[in-house]
Amino acid sequence: MPAKKRTVRIGNWYKSDDEKVHFIRKRKAPRPSKLRKIVPGQVLILLSGRFQGKRVVFLKQLKSGLLLVTGPFKINGVPLKRVNSAYVIPTSTKVDVSGVNATQIEDDYFKRTQAQRRKNEQGFWAKRGELTAEQQATEKTRLEGKRNTQKSVDAALITAIKKTQLLKQYLGARFTIGKTTRPHELVF
Amino acid sequence: MVLTKFVEVGRVVKINYGPQEGRLATIVEILNDKRVLIDGPTTGVQRQVIPIRRLTLTKFNLKGATRGARTGVITKAIKKSDPFAQYAQTLAAKKVAKKVLRAKLNDFDRFRVMILRKRRSALLSTQLKTLKKSTGGKAQAQAKGGNKKK
Repeated sequence: MPAKKRTVRIGNWYKSDDEKVHFIRKRKAPRPSKLRKIVPGQVLILLSGRFQGKRVVFLKQLKSGLLLVTGPFKINGVPLKRVNSAYVIPTSTKVDVSGVNATQIEDDYFKRTQAQRRKNEQGFWAKRGELTAEQQATEKTRLEGKRNTQKSVDAALITAIKKTQLLKQYLGARFTIGKTTRPHELVF
Repeated sequence: MVLTKFVEVGRVVKINYGPQEGRLATIVEILNDKRVLIDGPTTGVQRQVIPIRRLTLTKFNLKGATRGARTGVITKAIKKSDPFAQYAQTLAAKKVAKKVLRAKLNDFDRFRVMILRKRRSALLSTQLKTLKKSTGGKAQAQAKGGNKKK
């Protein structure tokens, strides 16, 4: 029996063999990841990075899908920070965040500036003096602004935290696993 | 040693194996040397035949339980004199309750317990020091004060 013949359409244009075709993802806007039952005000435990083990307060989910958290800075040294929800354990402790205004903060708050990129470019032996005077001034005002934003966001949070006994000390302590702890049996 | 806990009608038992593990019931009927009929209408145990091997006998008896009594009769007897409540006062029951409570603690609770235990031990050590001083070293420290949580 003759096999079914498959006709192939031959177009006018072939790409030559050495031309690489890069795969382009069609998605234009970042899709925020589905939040697994994490509510603003919830205390999270960070699992990776410089602040691993620290307990922080969740403020909101940014458009990129990352979670915006803050220590608060005065309590445990964690600033306003973006965090991946995969590297976080949500606890059942909640703080009242009704007085906190974090609507201004979005992903562009964390974007690196020219001056920062310049600093990183120079590497290990970079000196502060390498920045121009203008850049230094703008850096100074930028950092000043960041400090103020941090203070304004944390102010309402800290007053809410102080209402619960031992909550401030709890947020200041790190989460640790000892010899006898069984993480799979812990209730968070 | 004299045996005090008998397999008898009315004996309060604790199921220690199976899906009903940890629950209490009363023996209603003895079937043979290995099986009994138990019932626990107030503790969520359905009337059932169970091997004695799966039970732990307690020292409590349900007054008014007759041989082969129906669930209704058992419930009435429990209302009159609740041996299950008496069992809950025992040390063994309290230990189990403590374990259950501890398993439920969330991260913040565990932190609070740690802090309170530290505070209590600090209080105890200062008390011990003052007692030692006043009685010249032969005092026994009483477990005094502190926020005793668990």
